[in-house]
Amino acid sequence: MQPESRPSLVDRLRELRQTRFGAFVPVLLALAVIWTYFGLAVPIWEYWTNPDAESLRFIFLSPRNIYNLFMQSAVIATLAVGITVVLLLGDIDLSAAATAGVCAALLGVLVLQGVPAWLACLVVMVVGVFMGAAQGLLVAYVGIPSFVVTLAGLLGYQGLMQKILPTGNLNIGDPFVRSIARVLIPDLWGLVLAALLVLLLIAALLRRQTLRRAMGLELDTQIVVWGQVVFFAALVFGAVITMNSYRSLPLMILLLVALTALVGWVTTSTPFGRSIFAVGGNAESARRVGMNVRRIRVACFGIVGLMAAIGGIFGASRFGSVSYTAFAGGSLLLESIGAAVIGGTSLFGGRGSVWNAILGALVIGSLGNGLDLSGASAADKLMFSGAILLLAVAIDALSRPPTGSVR
Amino acid sequence: MGNSTPPPHLRVSRIHKRFGGVQALTNVDFEVARGEVMALVGDNGAGKSTLMKILAGAYTADEGQFWMDDRQVTVNSPNDAADLGIQIVYQDLALCENLDVSANLSLGAEPVRPGWGFVPRMLRPIDELAMEVKAKKATDQLEVRTLKSVRAKVGGLSGGQRQAIAIARAVGAESSVVLLDEPTAALGVAQTGQVLDVVKRLRDTNHAVVYISHNLREIFKIADRICVLRHGNNVATWNIADVSADEIVVAMTRGLDEGSDFAA
Ligand SMILES: Nc1ncnc2c1ncn2[C@@H]1O[C@H](COP(=O)(O)OP(=O)(O)O)[C@@H](O)[C@H]1O
Ligand SMILES: [Mg+2]
Repeated sequence: MQPESRPSLVDRLRELRQTRFGAFVPVLLALAVIWTYFGLAVPIWEYWTNPDAESLRFIFLSPRNIYNLFMQSAVIATLAVGITVVLLLGDIDLSAAATAGVCAALLGVLVLQGVPAWLACLVVMVVGVFMGAAQGLLVAYVGIPSFVVTLAGLLGYQGLMQKILPTGNLNIGDPFVRSIARVLIPDLWGLVLAALLVLLLIAALLRRQTLRRAMGLELDTQIVVWGQVVFFAALVFGAVITMNSYRSLPLMILLLVALTALVGWVTTSTPFGRSIFAVGGNAESARRVGMNVRRIRVACFGIVGLMAAIGGIFGASRFGSVSYTAFAGGSLLLESIGAAVIGGTSLFGGRGSVWNAILGALVIGSLGNGLDLSGASAADKLMFSGAILLLAVAIDALSRPPTGSVR
Repeated sequence: MGNSTPPPHLRVSRIHKRFGGVQALTNVDFEVARGEVMALVGDNGAGKSTLMKILAGAYTADEGQFWMDDRQVTVNSPNDAADLGIQIVYQDLALCENLDVSANLSLGAEPVRPGWGFVPRMLRPIDELAMEVKAKKATDQLEVRTLKSVRAKVGGLSGGQRQAIAIARAVGAESSVVLLDEPTAALGVAQTGQVLDVVKRLRDTNHAVVYISHNLREIFKIADRICVLRHGNNVATWNIADVSADEIVVAMTRGLDEGSDFAA
């Protein structure tokens, strides 16, 4: 394990950047910039310029606000995770928010009719899968570009939602549905869970290292291994402790993380996931090595439909109501596509990760929250979000490997 | 090899293939035996790549029959071809630049960890370490010396390295037939030599090898037989010992009948 020459700090950082967690760096930097601006710069500026202010007030960075930020971003993140999966294919889904709206509305109506809430949730999830997969069939078997299919889906599902909810609004008081956003994991359990996750990561990394040594494969350097551990631990404990210091870790966040872990595992560690990346990288090669590209496409659209349905359930739970503007007709769609792209998933297919989508959702959520707190108008918010999205897409386009042929 | 023709291992006959208005192959017969290198030549657009893709199952022929050791078979997909032991190095390599070398080498045939029988194969965990070991073996064999790590993304590799990876993918799999579509077109002298060594090694291990190239000097170095296509038609198949470079060029550019008409 003796390195021949002492690598410089820059080399070591570069090495870290290559790891799984390294891909988080740009989006985390964006998050840090936004949090520093709204959390530190704005309050200090206000304190200085306003002689009447009694003391510095860090509203944005208060545990209470961060807690709300996580909850606000959760629905965006759920959709963004699904959208990431189709972006990896090189496709797009413009109908995800409308699908979420239809599913939430359906959930509300079913519960109102007296269907048990757990059953209604299951039904809605199945419906979501079908709504997504139907579009996938058109993309894969009829050969219509996903942009067009899902644009039609967006319009159609918006109409469908209005049909289900003629008044445009429905309250949901069902305790099961509400509990998803209301149930809190006791403080201690949250910490135990965080510790378990970190230990699990350490165990996995060490086991891998041992196996690699036994098989004569190149080893990761110590700094890469422990750098990942420290990074992961800081992220997990940071989040849990912050939420504990306001309330506790909400069940909804835990569910979101578990879902993302599942989708993340499937996309990175199974032959199915590998085929998603292969199709996104070079669909013709994927076909030629015998992958069923069409079925893969349909499956991915099914996944985005499922995540949209779950996003609908989360939203209904958090708001205690379903409204047209909160889902199908509002800014949710662009926020979740923006979250996926800001997270670093390429619009050109083949590069990205669902975990980054969560961080991207936090960026979008923080931006909206911060602008709200500083009294920006809705118009300002829209223009800011547009600029950030444009920046993310520009970075994506510029960081495309130059050798990649333009197809 | 002498003049006796070895019994074919893979044989196709009366292959027709049309792309819209383009008749790419008309009534083409083709064969290759174990332990021989069959060169396939012809002008650009003659239909060489199309014929190779049909043999590899990437395209299906409109008409035509396949035999493997005198047993009639059907090849309707890349999986059919792979099951029969047919492997191909495509002219455009068909690598995924966003994936690393080791993922590319196992693409579509990822090894999975044992003990997950209760989920569909597509959803079992990939055995990344086995995949890497396999990749290292394949690249070491080809002496891709400049390759730093099998965990490097293919997008960052040079043309020669990519070519080597594509060849390693075909050679690493269980195969009895290896089709190489212009494998040296993008290579320098040293790397071309390496590829020719690989081809010889394949022949010596009793593989049936089809080798497409525009470089007749290479072909005279390694081929046992040569098959000429022109405008999607068979022109001739010769033992390499029985033919001169000039004859091949005439057959490629003018065809034999027109050639003799011209001479008459
Ligand atoms: N996928 C395709 N679609 C349409 N035409 C094709 C396709 N592939 C090949 N062709 C046509 O078939 C003919 C033979 O092409 P090809 O087999 O690539 O020739 P070669 O490899 O000998 O240069 C050409 O006229 C080419 O334009
Ligand atoms: Mg060709």
